[in-house]
Amino acid sequence: MFDYDAERLRGVMVEIARSNISSDAWDWLHEKISLSEISSINSIFSRMPRMTGKDAVRVSPSDAESLEDLKPGFGLVNWTADRLGRVCLLMHIDPSDKERYLKTVEDLFLAAEMGELVALYSALPLLAYPEHWKFRCAEGIRSNMANVLEAIMYANPYPAKYLDESAWNQLVMKAFFTEKDIKRINGFDERANAELARILSDYAHERWAAGRSVNPLLWRATSGFIDQQIKDDLGKVLSDGDLRERKAAALTIFKSNSPEAKGLLKNYADLVSDIENKKLTWDTL
Amino acid sequence: MCCTHSFEDRKPATVPAEKLDLEAVQGMKFFDPHVHMTSRTTDDYQAMADSGIVALIEPAFWLGQPRTGIDSFRDYYSSLIGWERFRSSQFGIKHYCTIGLNSREANNEKLAEEVMELLPLFIYKEGVVGIGEIGFDDQTAAEEKYYRAQLELAKESGLPVQIHTPHRDKKKGTQRSMDIAIEHGLDPYKVIVDHNNEETVKEVLDKGFWAAFTIYPFTKMGNERMVEVAKQYGPERIMINSAADWGISDPLAVPKTAALMKIKGIGDEAIKLITYSNAIKAFAQSGQIDEKDFVNSASVDQSQKFEGNTVLRGGQQPRTNKSSIIIS
Repeated sequence: MFDYDAERLRGVMVEIARSNISSDAWDWLHEKISLSEISSINSIFSRMPRMTGKDAVRVSPSDAESLEDLKPGFGLVNWTADRLGRVCLLMHIDPSDKERYLKTVEDLFLAAEMGELVALYSALPLLAYPEHWKFRCAEGIRSNMANVLEAIMYANPYPAKYLDESAWNQLVMKAFFTEKDIKRINGFDERANAELARILSDYAHERWAAGRSVNPLLWRATSGFIDQQIKDDLGKVLSDGDLRERKAAALTIFKSNSPEAKGLLKNYADLVSDIENKKLTWDTL
Repeated sequence: MCCTHSFEDRKPATVPAEKLDLEAVQGMKFFDPHVHMTSRTTDDYQAMADSGIVALIEPAFWLGQPRTGIDSFRDYYSSLIGWERFRSSQFGIKHYCTIGLNSREANNEKLAEEVMELLPLFIYKEGVVGIGEIGFDDQTAAEEKYYRAQLELAKESGLPVQIHTPHRDKKKGTQRSMDIAIEHGLDPYKVIVDHNNEETVKEVLDKGFWAAFTIYPFTKMGNERMVEVAKQYGPERIMINSAADWGISDPLAVPKTAALMKIKGIGDEAIKLITYSNAIKAFAQSGQIDEKDFVNSASVDQSQKFEGNTVLRGGQQPRTNKSSIIIS
C-alpha cells in the first residue's frame, strides 16, 4: 500500500507538527487525526491555516535525518505550519478501502486553493497507492503556479521515482523554462536520458537563435548522451561561453564516457585540474 | 455582475476631457472590493499596482453566458482561489474572493441545486471573505429561493454577504434584498449592498447595511456623482469599487475617484475610509483578511515566499516597454 514505513514516518511528521504549532492548534489537529474515520475532511483541510497559522516550520537536525532515512529525498525546506498540518492530515486518511481513499484525495485536488495544492503535491511521495498518482503529478507539472511547481520539484522524491520518461522530461523542461533551482530537483542526474538530452540541446539552439542566455546546468543532463550535435554544442560553449558556462561544459564532458568529447578538453587544462582537485564540482558551480 | 445593457444603449455624454492625473493620491493605498480580474489582462494588474491598489476582492459572477454543467462552476470557483490568486500575487496585489451562485444562473434550477451542494466545499477556503455576489437580477421566484438559501449559508458560516442589486427596478429590488436579509436574521453590519446610487443609498445606510458604489462608465455611477454622494453622506459605511469585468469598465475606478475626491476638497481621512479602510473592516469580519498581508506584501505570507523565486515577490514581474515598437 505504501512504499515506505508509513507508521514511523507519520510519527516523525506528527512530532515535528507538535513542536511547530500552538498547543491549541495541536489539540485540535491531534483530535482530528486520531479518529479512526476522519469526517468532513474537506473542511478540516481548508481550515488548517486558521488553526495552525503559517509560520515557517523548524526541523531539528535529528528529525531531518529521520525523514531522510525513512523517505530519501523528502524534506521540509521552506515549509509552513499549515502545509505541514495538511500533509499530516493526509497521512492519516485510512487507506484500507482503496477506491474510497483515492476518491477522498482526488476530491481534495479538485477543489483546492493555491496553498492546498502546494500541500497536496508535496504529499505525493507519502500517499498510499503511489502508482496511482502519476497522472496527477503530470497534471501538476502543467500548472503555471510557481509554488505548485516547486512543491513537485523540490525535496520531492515522487516524480523521479514514478514518472515515465516523457512526463519526467516535461518536468525538467518546465524547470528550465520557469527558471527553477535545478540543483534542488531530486533525481536530476539519475533520470537523465537520451531524449531529454536531445530536447535540451534543441532548446539551447532556440535560445541562442533568439539571442537569449542558456542556463549552463542544462548541459549537466546531457553528460551521458553526447552525440555529434551535443559535442558541437559543448565545443561552442567551451570556446564562446562565459567562465561559468565553460566550467559547466568542462564538467559535462569530464563526467561523460565519450572519448571524442574528451578531446575537446585538451586546451582547458586549468579547468580539468580544478575538476580533478574537486575545486570545481556541480555543487560549487 | 455588470453590463446588462447592450453597447448601443450606452450614450456617452460629451464628457469634457479631464486630464488623468493620479498625482493627488500618490502614495495612498487602495482596496477594490469588487473587481472581476479573470476578465482582465496583465496590463490592468500592472496599472492597478502602479496606482496604489494593494488588495482586491473578486466576487464570483456569471461569465457573460450561462454555464451548462456543474463542473464549469467548480472549475471557476477553483480558479478564483488558485490561478487568479497566483496571477494577482505576481503583481504584488493580494487577491481575495467571495463565492456564491449569481442571480442570473439561479434561474436554472436544476443546475442551481447542484451548485448549492458545491458551495460548502469552497466557502471555507482561505481568502474567501464572503458569500457573493448574490441577490436579484430579474427578481424571479427562483432567484429569491437561492438568495435565501445562500443567506442561510452565510449565517451558518459567519461570512459577510455581498449583495448584487438589480439594474432594472433597482430601488424595489434593493429594498427587497435588505428585507429578506433581515428576515433571515442577518446582521446588517455583515452585509454589503452593492451597486448603489443616489436613490438607494439613504435607506441602505439608515438600515445599518454597508453601502457600496460601483464606479462604472455609462451604466452605473460616474465618479463626479460619487463625489457628491460622499459630500452629502460622509464616509461612514460607504465604499467604492470598479466592478471591472468583460464590459467597458475601468479597473482604476477606485484610485481615479480618490483623486477626484481629493481635487474636489474631500479630506484624506474620508477618502481613506471610502477607498480602503471600510471595505477591509466590512469583509475582515470573515476572519480572512489580515492587513499585514498586503501592507508589507514582500514579507508576510511565508507560503508565498520561496528561496530562489523572483516571480512571487511583490511587483517583480518583468516589465515590457510600452512605448517601444520593439518586443523582445
